[in-house]
Amino acid sequence: MGIVYAIISGKGGVGKTTTTANLGIGIAQEGKKVVLVDFDLGQRNLDLILGLENRVIYDMVHVMDDEAGLKQALIKSKHADNLFLLAASQTKDKSVLVQEKVKKLIEILKEEFDYVILDAPAGIESGFEHTIMYADATIIVVNPEVSSIRDADKAIGIVDAKSEKAKENKKVQKFLVINRINPSMVSNGDMLASADILDILSIDLLGKIPEDKGIIEASNSGKPIILNENSQAGVAYKRISKRLCGENVPFEDVESFVSPSIITKIKSLFQ
Amino acid sequence: MSFFSLFNKKEKSAGVAKDRLRIAISSDRSNTSYPFMAEMKADIIEVVRKYTQAQSVHITRESDGDVDTLGIEIIIPR
Repeated sequence: MGIVYAIISGKGGVGKTTTTANLGIGIAQEGKKVVLVDFDLGQRNLDLILGLENRVIYDMVHVMDDEAGLKQALIKSKHADNLFLLAASQTKDKSVLVQEKVKKLIEILKEEFDYVILDAPAGIESGFEHTIMYADATIIVVNPEVSSIRDADKAIGIVDAKSEKAKENKKVQKFLVINRINPSMVSNGDMLASADILDILSIDLLGKIPEDKGIIEASNSGKPIILNENSQAGVAYKRISKRLCGENVPFEDVESFVSPSIITKIKSLFQ
Repeated sequence: MSFFSLFNKKEKSAGVAKDRLRIAISSDRSNTSYPFMAEMKADIIEVVRKYTQAQSVHITRESDGDVDTLGIEIIIPR
């Protein structure tokens, strides 16, 4: 039985889809079977970031409505074996999502894949709620910037209140990815340090991604940055992917703080 | 204000951000109504209308330590 991760942020434009694509490739490179599901109905982009935009024929709504089989709709990644995409519908909006159908879809995907990673839409509306509803754990992506952090806190509050696990009084695990860190600004005191962000949000750190110009180039060409072994951001995504597979990868940056309990928590998801 | 800011004429913006965020988030958290509030309110109105002429109900919330107290006010026209 696979693990379901929802990748959320609250605020848009912080790197949620980029993170989803990179972690998908990274985890698949660890030999796991991974499916990425784009929940951003009407604003499909994960296909573009993965370089698969020309291969989308059926999307998740077709599968939920039994207009296409899962096998027909899954798009195999060019970048990693074992990695598949289930695209968002581009024509229908989030109102087509029905809780029962979402639940059924996720249950089927959990049977087939080790990791089911859901890319949430920005905001905290119904599309977001459907994404977090059946997640075992959430990965919150923030930028070291006030509006992103505040919106993330709001999104975390909804996960704690509304997800199915929370309703069963089980803890939904939450891991933080801090994206677009500018190390020199942090050391000058002009950008929030990760310790401060963790302190404010009081959740566990999963990883830190430095700001990297290569991200734009990677999006331009549909080849996520994790494929570039010389890129700092790519290496950071690789390390996070290994952590998500239960490997104890130390946090290389001295400034960063992580509680050792995070690996225990990730491992507990496998049980 | 951080310790180091005593030595700097201008406080670093990261410190300012942290202080402002703390206040904003703590205020957000205390103002957030329960996510079920809207639905519960609709249900309560339905029940209240079954027995009375009341058109609306107000739900108030008071926080004290670890408990929240919800008050439901039903105004019935005479």
